[in-house]
Amino acid sequence: MTQFILKRNLNKSLLLLLCITFSFAASAQDYYVYVTAESEDEVALIKFDGKKATIEKTIQVGIWPAEIEGPHGINISPDGKYWYLSLAHGIPYGTLYKYSTETNEVVGSVKLGLFPASLQVSKATGLLYCVNFDLHGDMVPSTVSVVDPEEMIEIDRIETGVMPHGSRISADGMYHYSVGMMSGELFEISTTKMKVTRKLNLDGKMEEKPAMGGMDHSKMDHSKMGHAMMTEAAPMYHSAVKPTWAIPHPTNGKVYVAGNGSDEILEVDLEKWEITNRFKTGKAPYNCDVSPDGKYLVATYKGSGETGIWDLEKGEELPRVKNTRKVTHGVSISSDSKYAFISVEGIGGEPGTLDVIDIQKAKKVASVDMGKQAGGIIFWKME
Amino acid sequence: MKKFLIFVFVLSLSVGLLQGQDLSLKVKSEKVSMKIGQTVQLEATVVDAAGKKIADRDYIFYSTNSSALSVVDSTGVATAMRHGEYDVIVISPGAPQLRSNITVTVQAAAIAKVDFGVIPKNIYAGINLPLKLTVTDKAGFERPERIVELTSSNEDVVAIAPFDKLIIKEKGKAKITAKIDGVTETLDINVIDNPIAKILLKSDMVEGRSGDVFTLTALAVDKNGNEIKDAPINYSFTGESFDVSAAPSGIITKEGKFAADAPGLYVLNATCGSAAASVTVQANSRNISRKIDLVGQGSVNNKHTSDLWVWEGVDGKDYAVTGTWGADGTAYFWDVTDPAGIELIDSVKVDARTVNDVKVSEDGRVAVISREGASNRKNGLVIIDVSNPRDAKVISEFSENLTGGVHNVFIYKNHVYALSAGRKYYSINIEDPANPRIVGEFELDTPGHSIHDVWIHDGIAYSSNWSDGVQLVDVGNGIAGGTPANPVQFASYAYPSGSNHAAFPYKDEKTGKFYVILGDEEFPYGLDPDGRKPGRAAGFLHVIDFTDLKNPKEVAWFQVPFAGSHNFWIEDDILYAAFYNGGVRVVDISGELLGDLNRQGREIAWIVPEDPDGYVANAPFTWGAQPHKGHIFYSDWNSGLWSAKLAPVVPNNTKLEEAK
Repeated sequence: MTQFILKRNLNKSLLLLLCITFSFAASAQDYYVYVTAESEDEVALIKFDGKKATIEKTIQVGIWPAEIEGPHGINISPDGKYWYLSLAHGIPYGTLYKYSTETNEVVGSVKLGLFPASLQVSKATGLLYCVNFDLHGDMVPSTVSVVDPEEMIEIDRIETGVMPHGSRISADGMYHYSVGMMSGELFEISTTKMKVTRKLNLDGKMEEKPAMGGMDHSKMDHSKMGHAMMTEAAPMYHSAVKPTWAIPHPTNGKVYVAGNGSDEILEVDLEKWEITNRFKTGKAPYNCDVSPDGKYLVATYKGSGETGIWDLEKGEELPRVKNTRKVTHGVSISSDSKYAFISVEGIGGEPGTLDVIDIQKAKKVASVDMGKQAGGIIFWKME
Repeated sequence: MKKFLIFVFVLSLSVGLLQGQDLSLKVKSEKVSMKIGQTVQLEATVVDAAGKKIADRDYIFYSTNSSALSVVDSTGVATAMRHGEYDVIVISPGAPQLRSNITVTVQAAAIAKVDFGVIPKNIYAGINLPLKLTVTDKAGFERPERIVELTSSNEDVVAIAPFDKLIIKEKGKAKITAKIDGVTETLDINVIDNPIAKILLKSDMVEGRSGDVFTLTALAVDKNGNEIKDAPINYSFTGESFDVSAAPSGIITKEGKFAADAPGLYVLNATCGSAAASVTVQANSRNISRKIDLVGQGSVNNKHTSDLWVWEGVDGKDYAVTGTWGADGTAYFWDVTDPAGIELIDSVKVDARTVNDVKVSEDGRVAVISREGASNRKNGLVIIDVSNPRDAKVISEFSENLTGGVHNVFIYKNHVYALSAGRKYYSINIEDPANPRIVGEFELDTPGHSIHDVWIHDGIAYSSNWSDGVQLVDVGNGIAGGTPANPVQFASYAYPSGSNHAAFPYKDEKTGKFYVILGDEEFPYGLDPDGRKPGRAAGFLHVIDFTDLKNPKEVAWFQVPFAGSHNFWIEDDILYAAFYNGGVRVVDISGELLGDLNRQGREIAWIVPEDPDGYVANAPFTWGAQPHKGHIFYSDWNSGLWSAKLAPVVPNNTKLEEAK
C-alpha cells in the first residue's frame, strides 16, 4: 500500500515536472541566427529570446588582418553541427570555411571560384553547392561549386549563368535553384546528377533567337527588357529583371525569384517551368525566404530599406516593415515560421543591424547592431 | 476503426524507418588496383538487411585527387593518370543518404631511364663532380623518390660518394653505372690530368665593412702560367669574429662574391683539385647606426589608418593625406609643414568602408583615393582637388570596370593606374579630372592570377602579383615601346612563397646595379579571436638584381624577426620600410647588396609607434613610411600619422653622445 501511494505520488510529481518543463519551454523560446559582417570580417551569433536580440558571440573570420576578405554566404549543415561560410574576396579565388557550431572554430576549408556567395548542403546528397558569384568579373558565365563537406574537397563545377547568386535547395534536397543575376536566368541543377536540368530566361528572352535586324524598335518599352551591349569581343547582356535570389517553396511546387531590377517577385511553376505569377514589390527586392509552414514569403527590399511579407495563399502583401537602416540585405525565417530575421547593411561607417520581424504581425520586434555590412544570414536553432 | 488505421499508419512508418536504417551501401571492391591509363568501372549498390539490392538508387562517385584519378560522376568510371593511392568516395543520395569509399592504388609505371645531367667536357683529376640524376618512368613522370644505385668500374679513378657525388681521383677511364629496377644507364668518364698548377686569387678589397661585397678574382693557371678557363673553382671561407659573443658568418657565392655578417677576419678560399689559394680580408663594423627621434603625431584613434602620401603643396607648404580602413570611408588631410605639430586640416568622406590607398599627383593638385565597401557595391576611385588641402573638394568619382574595389592606385603623368578587383590594373587618363577615361589595361594570363599593388617610376610600372611576382611593364619609358594605352611587359621575377605584395625600384649609381625590392605580406599567426589585441605579421623584403633584365636574380634580403613587411620607400640609398608590428626600419642599402642585410648590421635605426590611446592601445602596426624633406612620415593602423627624424651621420671615431 505504501509502495502504491509512493508510486502514485511519484507519477504525479513527474507529471507536474513535465508540465512545468513544457510550459517553461513554451514561454522561454530562444532563437539563434548567424549573420555575416562583410566589411568587418566577422560573423555574429545572435540570440533572440522573444523580446530582445543580443550578440552571443562575435567570430573573427579570415586570415588577413589588413585585407577585407568579405564573409558573404552562410548556412548550417542539416544536422546543425557545422556552419559553412564563403569568404568572397580571395587572391583571386574565394574560400569556403567549415566551422563547428559547438566551438565556432574552423575545422576545414577549401578554395572555390571567384567571389563564392550563397551556399547550402543538400540533405539528399550531403554535398554542398555554392555559387561562384564572380560579382566583379567579366560578363561571362560562372559556376556552381559542388563540395563534399566531410572531406572539404571541391568535386565539380557546374556552369550556369552570368553572376550566379541567390541559391537554395528544394526541401527534398534533390534540386538546386540559383539565378544568373546579369543573364537573367533561373537554373535548376539536379543535386544527384550534378548537371543543369533546366534553365528559364526570366526576361522572356527566347533561346537562340535570331538577331532583330529589320525590326522597328521605336515603340518598344526598353525599360522592360534586358540590354545587350555589343562589343567587339562578345555581346554583354544586362538582365532587366536582374534576379538575385531563388527560393523553392517547401510544398507547392513553385520557386520564387527576387527580381531586383524589375521590383517584383516572380513565381515559377516547376511543373510548367514558366512564370505563373508576378508580385509587385518595393524597390529592389534582393533576398527572400519562405516560412517552413509555406504560408509566407519574406523579401528584403534593398532599395528602400524595407522588408516585405507576402501571404502566399492570398497573394497579398502585408504592411511593409521599415528596417532600422538602409540597404536591407538577407532574410532567414525561424523553423516555427514565427519570425523573420533580417540583415541590414547600413552605409559607410554605420554598423550592420539584425532586425527581428514578427511575421504575422508584420512588425519589427527587436533589433541589434553588429559589424559593418551585415549580409549573409542563416537561422540556426530554437531551444 | 480509426484507431486501427492510425496503428497501421504508425506501423508502416516504423517499418519504413527501420528499413531505411537497415540499408547500406556496398562497394564491389573496397580496394582496387589500376595501371596508369587504365579505365575501370567502379561499382556500388545499396542493399537491405537481407543483402537484397535496392533499385532506383542514384550514385555519385568522386576522386579525392581528380588530377591523378579521374572518376566520372554518377557512372563510376575511373581512369588512372598518375601513380599513388587515392580514395574514391561513393555517395548514394536519398533517405537515408549513404556513403562509402574505395581505395584505389594506381601502380607506378616501370622506370624507363636515368639521366646523368650535364657533364663537363674536361674532367680534371682531383675535383668533385656532383651528378644531377633524373629518373623517369614509362608514363613520363619524374621519380625523385627512387634511389639510384651508382657504381664505378674503376674506384681508383672515380669513386662514388653519398648524394650522387663523384670523387674524381686520378687520370684514367671509368664507367659509371646507374641502376634502378633493372634499368641500367652508363656514363663513360675520361679523367685527364689536372693541369692547374696554382690559383691566383685576388680580392677587390682587403678591408671593408660587414655587408660590403668583396669580389674575388681567381685565375687558375698551368705550370707554364697559361690560364685554364674551364677550371671548376670552388669558393669557401672561414673566419674569426671580432666579438667573442658573435659567430663569424657570411655568404660566399659560386661566382666568388663574399659578404660578412659579423665584423671579423675572414679567410676566403678558392680551390680546384689540389690547387688552392686564399686571401684574408677584414670586415669592420658597419657602424651606421643613427639615433632616431620621434617628432610628432597626428592621432587617429577611433578607426584604423591605412596608407599615407606626403607632398609639397602648390603653396610651398607640406601636406599629407591618410586613408582609413574598415571604417566610414574617410580620408584625412594634414598640414605637416611643422612635423612636430601635425595639424588635421580637412577630411573627405566617401561611400566606402575602406580607403586603402591615397596618392597625389606630381604637381600637388590632384589626389586619388581608392574605395572598397561602397554601399552600392560600385567601388572605384575618387578624384579630389587638393590645390588647397584645407578645402579638399571631390572632383569626380569613377567606377567603370572598378566596381570590385580598388585596393591600390598610383598617379603618373596625368594617368591613374588603378587595380580592379585584385585581377588587373587599368590606366586612366585624368587630364580632365572631372572626366576620367580608361585608356589601357594590364592583366596577366596565368591561371589564378591576381595583383596587389602597382608603382610607377620613370615610365615603368612595377606591379606586385603575389605568386606571379613582380611584373615590369613599360607604360611610357620606351624600353619596350609601351604607353599608358598599350602597356608592354618586359621583365618579371617570382619567388616560391608567392607572397609578393609591394615593389620599389632602386638603382645604385656607384655600382650600376639595378635592383627591385619586393616585399611580402604574410599573416601566419592568424587573427585575435576578439579583434582587439595587437596583430603580428611575417614576411620580409627580397632584393632582386635586375641589372640583367632577362636574368633577374635574388641576391639579398632584409628580415625583422617576428615582424612582417608591408609598404616601403627608397631615397638616397636608404630604405624606409614599414614592418607592421616591427614599426619603421631604416636600412642602409648603399653599394652592392648580397645576403642577409639585417645580420650585416645595415639597419640604421628603427622606431615603433606605440600609443596608449591608440585604436588598439600600444599595438604598433605600421602601414607605410615615406621620407620627406629630412623627416620620416609613417602611418600606423592603430594610431594615425607620425613623424620622426634621423640624427645626423656620426663621423667615425665620434661617440654618439658627442654628436647630440
